[in-house]
Amino acid sequence: MDSPHSDTTGSVLSSPSVSSSGVFSQKRADIHNNETTTRHVKRPSAVTFRDPESCDMVQGESNSNYSETQSMHAAEQSIERNGKKGSCYRCLEGNQFTEKEICIVCNAKYCCKCVLRAMGSMPEGRKCVTCIGKKINESRRASLGKCSRLLKQLLNELEVKQAMSSEKTCKANQLPPQLVLINGEPLNQYKLHVLQTCQNPPKKLKPGRYWYDKVSGFWGKEGDGPCLIITAQLNVGGRIKAKASNGNAKVLVNDREITRKELWMLQFAGVNCEGKPSFWLSADGSYQEEGQKNEKGPIWKKTRIKLFCALLSLPVPPNVANPAGEDVSQRTLEQQVLLKLLLVGYQKSGTSTIYKQAKILYNVPFSEDERQNIKLKIQCNLYGYLAILLEGRERFEEEVLLENRKLQFADGPGSSGGASQIDGKTKYSLSPRLKAFSEWLVQVMVSGNLEVIFPAATREYAPFIQKLWNDAAFQATYNRRHELQMLPRIATYFLERAVEISRTDYEPSDMDILYAEGTQSSNGLSSMEFSFPTRERESFIDGYQHDPLARYQLIRLHPSSLGASCKWVGMFEDINMVLFCVSLTDYDEFWLDSNGVLINKMVASKQLFETIVSHPTLEQKDFLLILNKADLLLEKMEEVPLTRCEWFHDFNPVISHHNNNLTASVAQRAFHYIAVKFKRLFDSLTHSKLYVCMVTGLEPDSVDEAFRYAREILKWDHNENSFINNEFSTTTVTEASTTS
Amino acid sequence: MPVAELKERHAAAIEAVNDLRERLKQRRQQLLDTDVAGYARSQGRSQVTFGPTDLVCCRTLQGHTGKVYSLDWTPERDRIVSASQDGRLIVWNAQTSQKTHAIKLPCAWVMTCAFSPTGQSVACGGLDSMCSIFNLNSATDRDGNLPVSVTLNGHKGYVSCCQYVPDEDIHIITSSGDQTCVLWDITTGLRTTVFGGEFQSGHTADVLSVSINGANSRVFVSGSCDGTARLWDTRVASRAMRTFQGHEGDVNTVKFFPDGNRFGTGSDDGTCRLFDIRNGHQLQVYYQQHSDKEVPLVTSIAFSISGRLLFAGYSNGDCYVWDTLLARVVLNLGSVQNSHENRISCLGLSADGSSLCTGSWDTNLKIWAFGGHRKVI
Repeated sequence: MDSPHSDTTGSVLSSPSVSSSGVFSQKRADIHNNETTTRHVKRPSAVTFRDPESCDMVQGESNSNYSETQSMHAAEQSIERNGKKGSCYRCLEGNQFTEKEICIVCNAKYCCKCVLRAMGSMPEGRKCVTCIGKKINESRRASLGKCSRLLKQLLNELEVKQAMSSEKTCKANQLPPQLVLINGEPLNQYKLHVLQTCQNPPKKLKPGRYWYDKVSGFWGKEGDGPCLIITAQLNVGGRIKAKASNGNAKVLVNDREITRKELWMLQFAGVNCEGKPSFWLSADGSYQEEGQKNEKGPIWKKTRIKLFCALLSLPVPPNVANPAGEDVSQRTLEQQVLLKLLLVGYQKSGTSTIYKQAKILYNVPFSEDERQNIKLKIQCNLYGYLAILLEGRERFEEEVLLENRKLQFADGPGSSGGASQIDGKTKYSLSPRLKAFSEWLVQVMVSGNLEVIFPAATREYAPFIQKLWNDAAFQATYNRRHELQMLPRIATYFLERAVEISRTDYEPSDMDILYAEGTQSSNGLSSMEFSFPTRERESFIDGYQHDPLARYQLIRLHPSSLGASCKWVGMFEDINMVLFCVSLTDYDEFWLDSNGVLINKMVASKQLFETIVSHPTLEQKDFLLILNKADLLLEKMEEVPLTRCEWFHDFNPVISHHNNNLTASVAQRAFHYIAVKFKRLFDSLTHSKLYVCMVTGLEPDSVDEAFRYAREILKWDHNENSFINNEFSTTTVTEASTTS
Repeated sequence: MPVAELKERHAAAIEAVNDLRERLKQRRQQLLDTDVAGYARSQGRSQVTFGPTDLVCCRTLQGHTGKVYSLDWTPERDRIVSASQDGRLIVWNAQTSQKTHAIKLPCAWVMTCAFSPTGQSVACGGLDSMCSIFNLNSATDRDGNLPVSVTLNGHKGYVSCCQYVPDEDIHIITSSGDQTCVLWDITTGLRTTVFGGEFQSGHTADVLSVSINGANSRVFVSGSCDGTARLWDTRVASRAMRTFQGHEGDVNTVKFFPDGNRFGTGSDDGTCRLFDIRNGHQLQVYYQQHSDKEVPLVTSIAFSISGRLLFAGYSNGDCYVWDTLLARVVLNLGSVQNSHENRISCLGLSADGSSLCTGSWDTNLKIWAFGGHRKVI
């Protein structure tokens, strides 16, 4: 780079003139102010809680147990204020009486001007940006999710709601389970979840030591009498200690020495408490003296007992009027899930035929647009086929001319070549007008512009097609069509009806649509939703009952849509199953890849399969390999051995020559061989099972079979996972519904 | 045999082109006596510094249920359109984080979206190989969906990027997986010009990104999977004005420098580069050494208004703020407390340069603004 040039570069890059609009370039001046304003310092918890200014904190319960658990935090965040007492921590202005918002972690207080800047978007509620991700100050737990007036003034309703709900639900703000001890044993995440989601959870659970009577559901703080009756038989905490509630009534209930108050209550309920008995009290209130069989009626039956309990501030069991009914209904309301199937395969592997077949099978109508597109496509294809035939015709004509000339040379070497060319009419010669048309068409095809001339071509050239079709030379070429490699097999189907199809008022039938190559003009993606129609005979036979309303989505994708090295597979992470389509007849066909190297199509298919299967987003997904064009395999194997493809070099089935019917079984064996090849490949890449089925795209039943197989596989999966995921999925569903 | 001979000549020609390319590269290397950072350092420039709380996330836009793939700001007023894997476009008011429109797309696999210069309509494109335009003022149908007002049909591969030509609502440039870029006339719905494709003058792989020169809207640059960026003049379709080599991976994103004489690129090779369109030189490479072997890809870039800062999103969730002059990372938005939890897929600066919006695979968009002593937003 020459120096004058780089000089201008430098000046433009750092040009000061633009800084007026660009905020980002303008901060260096401010930076030194900022550094001195807020400074977070780590301090032991003692400082936080003895802070005289935190008088507005909810610090009600400062009993010995509580502070003991508090000290389990290694160090609480505390913030140092530089300004005077009562001022904002950020701008250092204001006094005790200005309204302020408090960080729920470090207790920093900010005035209304600074709150949004200090707390940002509040992804975890009211926390300074630097406190995000840290545990909240436990004394602030009670105020979680309760919005202050200040915030309501600053933000709109939606934002306040969002901030408050994230304050309540975000992970960092949840009660740390190890700080809750039940019968001397700290909880873990799972047990805390059990405790909080039971039918009658302890209200306003705070860190601390509790005792819990599993048999009756009595619940209280360690050293205190019972304060609640929660759901019994929860598997949380250790064994209850006799001294858990610090009772001294010399009466044991469920291994716990009860308090005086409880004894009074029992006596009032008419329970005989003479001589230090031990009782078993169950959750429904029935009790039993230890070692005896006489079960006595529920003590809570009479209302006066409940009144008496209220008098002594003892807990009574909650009304069991609202059992989990609400929850259950919510679970059944789980929305109908759409199961997504991704259909993908190498070029010309038949994915579009299977897609169209599925559309016809499951009564998903083709839209008017689609029909129009397909019509154009068919007509366009037809012109393409014609062009191939015409090209062939030229070749045949030349061949014949050459032959004639040779003959002439053989007959009479003296005669001039010019004369023979003039009357060089063969049975492949066209009339001049048709010849002009044919030359034009071939040229259009070769330049690859066939799609550009539509739909105008149908209007102009339909009569030509008719003439061409009736032309003897063309028919002669048509009869030799099997010699033309370029002409696809399906072309015959359309060429037979060339005249009808080339008309403008042609309407493609379902069959035509099925046989047409390609679904649409572009290499895009097509998708449809469907459900399986119920068949009478299938019900209950297969052991699983399928939900007849289950919706499926079939997405057919052209491999080029995945981009170079499958860059966009990530877009299909929510797919339930991948249907990978391979044409069985590919094994002897070759294809020019993007680098211009000739590659066996089966090997190319295999490479695509490898990239897709080993893509991280499709990990753990089910794969169903569809080996398509099964009907053509046998035919082809008679002509070309399967070992033509290098991947299949070790295919050598034992063939006995006694039975003529055995060829069919050879095709069967070839299918199994290929399936095993793919299965081994799949297993080596993913260590899981590949499902395989054989399909003939043009036969509705075989396609239906494949899709029902896919459904079956999804069902097995669902049944396997449902036990593990049940609880988890329901919680996530409800969470999602509240946040949306 | 003529075919064999042709093949031989073709191979020889390719050889010659590669040789020339290599020589050109060497010559450029020779002429390049310094880069921007080296020169700036020699001039005694000091680096931009940022404190941890200087760039604050001041809004989190929640509402998408899938990965966010693309976003775009309106030229005036604070509105953002975002496209997500859940098959929706959402138009946000960035000031209040309210959603003004949620557009359910006919094809859910959307990759890109753009706001029109007047803010009246939005465009999007994706795997359906079409570019769909929605007029935000049109009435919704019975299901509450906004109808498509125009579809631009003609690409043979996915539409990877679209951008309106500034100052008019009738022209849009798209890039596609079919190796072409297309300039469209929206009023007629037809292709005005196709760049690349048919003739071997354009990109040789999927085009992933376009950026129109803000100073001269007839010039745009495109980045492609073939590892190059190409400069085009919309009046000259036949060939690219310049081809910029240098990247060793797919060029995922291109963005014009505010002054219009340079542009930046971001690539799968983990680097961002700055190129000069006047002499074709690569001015600077922005690359941060990583300890582990996995090199995060650059997914999206944006320049600040002055051009001093380059924001780059990476596949590992990092979002570096580069000092373009000294080629140093000033700040990593991926490591501050309030950052995204997944890959940052797109980012964009508001027209006045006051705020940055990032979109991520964690389904959220975040708006970042300078948190120093200046008014937020």
